[in-house]
Amino acid sequence: MNAVEVSGLNAWFGDHHVLKDVHMEAQSETVTAMIGPSGCGKSTLIRCLNRMHEEVRGARVTGKVLFNGTDVYAPDTDPVEVRRRIGMVFQRPNPFPTMSVMENAVAGLKLGSRLSKSELRQRGERALRRAGLWEEVKDRLDQPGGRLSGGQQQRLCVARALAVEPEVLLMDEPASALDPSSTLRIEELVEELKDSVTVIIVTHNMQQAARIADWTMFMLNGEVVEADSTEKIFTTPADQRTEDYVTGRFG
Amino acid sequence: MRPETRSKFHAELDNLEAEVVQLGAQGEVAVRQSVDALVRRDRELAGQVIDGDDALDERYLDIERRILDLFALQTPVASDLRLVSAIMHINLHLERVGDQAVNVAKIALATFDLPTSSVILSHIAEMGDVVCRMLHTAIEAFERRDLELCLKLPAMDDPVDRLNRGMYTEVVKLASDERKLEWGIRMNVVARALERVGDNAVDIGEQVGFLLTGEFREFTDASHDTA
Repeated sequence: MNAVEVSGLNAWFGDHHVLKDVHMEAQSETVTAMIGPSGCGKSTLIRCLNRMHEEVRGARVTGKVLFNGTDVYAPDTDPVEVRRRIGMVFQRPNPFPTMSVMENAVAGLKLGSRLSKSELRQRGERALRRAGLWEEVKDRLDQPGGRLSGGQQQRLCVARALAVEPEVLLMDEPASALDPSSTLRIEELVEELKDSVTVIIVTHNMQQAARIADWTMFMLNGEVVEADSTEKIFTTPADQRTEDYVTGRFG
Repeated sequence: MRPETRSKFHAELDNLEAEVVQLGAQGEVAVRQSVDALVRRDRELAGQVIDGDDALDERYLDIERRILDLFALQTPVASDLRLVSAIMHINLHLERVGDQAVNVAKIALATFDLPTSSVILSHIAEMGDVVCRMLHTAIEAFERRDLELCLKLPAMDDPVDRLNRGMYTEVVKLASDERKLEWGIRMNVVARALERVGDNAVDIGEQVGFLLTGEFREFTDASHDTA
């Protein structure tokens, strides 16, 4: 079953037409990677999936995004609810620096839900465990999130996103600001998460896409050139432009 | 579109391809010379084949090492990955071709004093001729990325297999003369070595097929008689 289905999606920043008639699908509980040169529209596309794109002044979207059957852009759809069900992790770790580790983990839960303190703590622990961070932080849950290492901060952001139990997790180059071992931790984490969440990840690192994604989409100039199993994209891509990009014949 | 970003890697890949093509030519010459040495009873030529194998092995090892470097350092993908994999396999097949030429040359040296059979000698000359053409065709198909050409190899291999199978009958005919029989038994081994060279050429053709189509496919299957 597809968790996300996009059809005829167009997006603009002012007059700049960034996405052109994009169609894509992401199967439930799989990892889909988006690759392509800078400016090809990858980040804009994932920002359209949870209605983040429209937050930018002058930005516009047309077309359809279905999320587990729900039309994300229907007039009666609440964007806040969409963003709860479709979580997001960004390139630079952005925990709330003065909030404690635990407060960061449960930050999303405090908005609009009335959980008791012990329930909050339980949900926070579960999210930190799922993000593979619990063992490293369990003795300093009250310390500021900003004191953790870069890799830990990024996993704290993953925990924060997971705490509200999203069905889809969007990751926009989540490891590009991390050192190699933190990167591998994030990649391992993505592998574990796909048992329960659909992951869509934008990456500049083709080897990362090859290592962790079940499906890979190659984008160029705002269009999806080719989407197929990762194995196919990296061994026998169908489109010459994909071939030229993955083999480095153009950057 | 922006310019090529991996020019150093692609230049090395081009160099390796040229090296393996040259190894193919070396292998072909070695096989041809070993058969010539045997048929013409040319000691010097047989010695040349045996001595020349070191250079062939050296090139094989150099290619092998550089391929491993590409895997470790350049992470080839897509058609690059298929090319690196094809070069690696073709390289190994050609090294074996070189070894078979040495086997033939050694047998030639060991049997120069024995009486021969002209029928068997002509069969061996014919086998040598065909397998050299097969090697040439396989390497040419690789160089030209010619799928149609490499698909011709299994049919080219048929007379080689037929001559190899018929060798036994010819050797048995020599049973009345002990020294002729000894020579004949050695020639049976030579026929087997040349038959293997033909198989290596077909295997190289299969690598070309994989490079061009991305599909692993055996042209012939020894476990199922398709004849």
